[in-house]
Amino acid sequence: MGEDTTSLGGIHISPNAIATIAYHATLESYGVVGLAPKNVADGIVKSITREPLRGVTVDYNGEEIDIEIHIIVEYGTRINSVAESVANTVRYHVEKALGLKVNNINVHVAGLRVSNTD
Amino acid sequence: MAVDTARVERLRKKSINGQSMKRLVEAGLTWLRTNQQTVNALNVFPVPDGDTGTNMVLTMQSAWNEIKDLGHRSIGDMAAAVSKGALMGARGNSGVILSQLWRGFSRGVHGKEVLDGVTLAKALGEARDTAYKGVVRPVEGTILTVAREVAAATEAALETTQDAIEILEVAVRAADEAVQKTPELLPVLKQAGVVDSGGKGLFFVLEGMLRHVYGESLETPLMSVQPISSMQMQGALEEVEEGQDYEVVVDFLPAENFELQKFYGRLEEMGTSIQVGEGEGMYRMHIHVPLDKRYEPIDYIMGIGTITKVAMENLLAQMDDLQKRKAGRLSLSPVEPGQIAVVVVSPGAGLSRIFASLGAAAVVEGGQTMNPSTQDFLHSFENLPTDKVIILPNNKNIIMAANQAKEVTVKQVVVVPSRTIPQGLAAMLALHPDGELESVAEKMAKALEHVRSGEITTATRSVEIDGVNVESGQVIALLDGKLVASAGSVEQGCLELLEKARADEHELITLFYGQDLPHAEANRIADVIRRKYPGQEVEVQEGGQPHYQFIVSIE
Repeated sequence: MGEDTTSLGGIHISPNAIATIAYHATLESYGVVGLAPKNVADGIVKSITREPLRGVTVDYNGEEIDIEIHIIVEYGTRINSVAESVANTVRYHVEKALGLKVNNINVHVAGLRVSNTD
Repeated sequence: MAVDTARVERLRKKSINGQSMKRLVEAGLTWLRTNQQTVNALNVFPVPDGDTGTNMVLTMQSAWNEIKDLGHRSIGDMAAAVSKGALMGARGNSGVILSQLWRGFSRGVHGKEVLDGVTLAKALGEARDTAYKGVVRPVEGTILTVAREVAAATEAALETTQDAIEILEVAVRAADEAVQKTPELLPVLKQAGVVDSGGKGLFFVLEGMLRHVYGESLETPLMSVQPISSMQMQGALEEVEEGQDYEVVVDFLPAENFELQKFYGRLEEMGTSIQVGEGEGMYRMHIHVPLDKRYEPIDYIMGIGTITKVAMENLLAQMDDLQKRKAGRLSLSPVEPGQIAVVVVSPGAGLSRIFASLGAAAVVEGGQTMNPSTQDFLHSFENLPTDKVIILPNNKNIIMAANQAKEVTVKQVVVVPSRTIPQGLAAMLALHPDGELESVAEKMAKALEHVRSGEITTATRSVEIDGVNVESGQVIALLDGKLVASAGSVEQGCLELLEKARADEHELITLFYGQDLPHAEANRIADVIRRKYPGQEVEVQEGGQPHYQFIVSIE
């Protein structure tokens, strides 16, 4: 958990807070049609706990932020451009909101959605 | 410029086939490229990295590359090729959206031989539908909104017209209006005081097509404000027209009610080659005016803001000078998107030309006593149309700055650590611009080992290094960066250097003479070397570097 303690008290930023920012930034990224749970077990756990941030995992030890994002991409888009945009957008939004440097963002393309074929 | 009505009428009677579409796509690309900096400067969303225009141009360029060599095709097939090219070259957020728009467009004209107004409106509708499918939460006030407004307007216009050109006019007008409205829909744009960059880019593509129909120029931007740092004063000088003898550059702080459109309009009455730049609230205006009007821009700007600096130059007097410089102009290798661009550091004009002839895409001036900064490197490759960059620092003190440039750019940069000019040249010979970045860089790095580098210079102080005694003012020879000999003359220094380098075991000796050594003297020394090394090829080239009488490559 992130800490910033002064004599007046402390500010704590949870990985979940960071994940929320990343999650919303991802969903607004063009080409992303959904997020995917990291694996089946994770998917079940997150549906049971009604965890809304499936597909985003944040590792934050108070110093370095690492983010893993599992996305589903629209079939027919240039996948690496979409993934790159996601990484850029998420990095920008997290850094802007928290004033903290993001170390690593890994974008995993978990699947494609075919909405129509050419 | 006026609309060429005769041309429009002629085009109206012709049906739009695959070839016509090719020219429309080219026009869209050209006009977008002309306004690329304007679009870049607007980029604040989703990430303010100022690359929207570039990304869209690269995407359109890729589409154009796909169709430029195609012969007769139906409109359906041509659009399919455009869509494929755009998809393959899609860069960045806006590029991906643009490629999806083309994909939808292509679907809309599938199987059609020619394009009529009805098909065009339908295709624009398909473009919108396809683009919207690619995102869960569409953000309004972006290129998507503009595409939607364009589709809606053209569908509505079908009630009154079915003429393709009129539909295109409707589309351009709708795009323009939609772009103007984007700040109302997306607060971050309003805060920054801009319209959406991607939407503006789409507008330029459509407008470029219409300008082509109208027979209007696609090369000059109508009105744009660029960052001051990217204003191209040099380029402007070449466009000197008769009667426009004075160049006036004014820096000013505009008053509150500054209106760019009016400002441009007034400047256009005064002169030509107008450029306006902006940086941190400060504006810079550049214009060419006739002799008798040379104070007019200044008087005018005084009325609308506070002038901080005025510069005026007589262009005619500069022309001669320019002609001279033109003769020594570098012809750098053009780079296509996706290719590898090589940035080299060169200490002299002659060496720069040699590097350019070997395929360098950009040259950064620098050398032993003037190390280029990280910023210099960034400037050199930021505007190249590719993401793959190899830097040859050609000096051990510059490798660090090159590595820093690599850290701060979004492009893929590999620094091939060449420590000398001869190493850099050897590396250039191993360049394959179309290869895979890492493997090409590896080959270039390997090539560094195959050459020995000698330098002849004058000692600036008395010292003893590596067992060599040097008096200040003496000629010294360095081999691969190590001091190997001191001598009384340049000739003697060269001979000692070659001996230490075991030149007789090599094949080629190339001498690059510096700016302080006369050409005749360089040739004379080369002749002496030829006599001493009859088995080796000896070449003399103008290097133009300061401080070093000779840079010697032994391979």
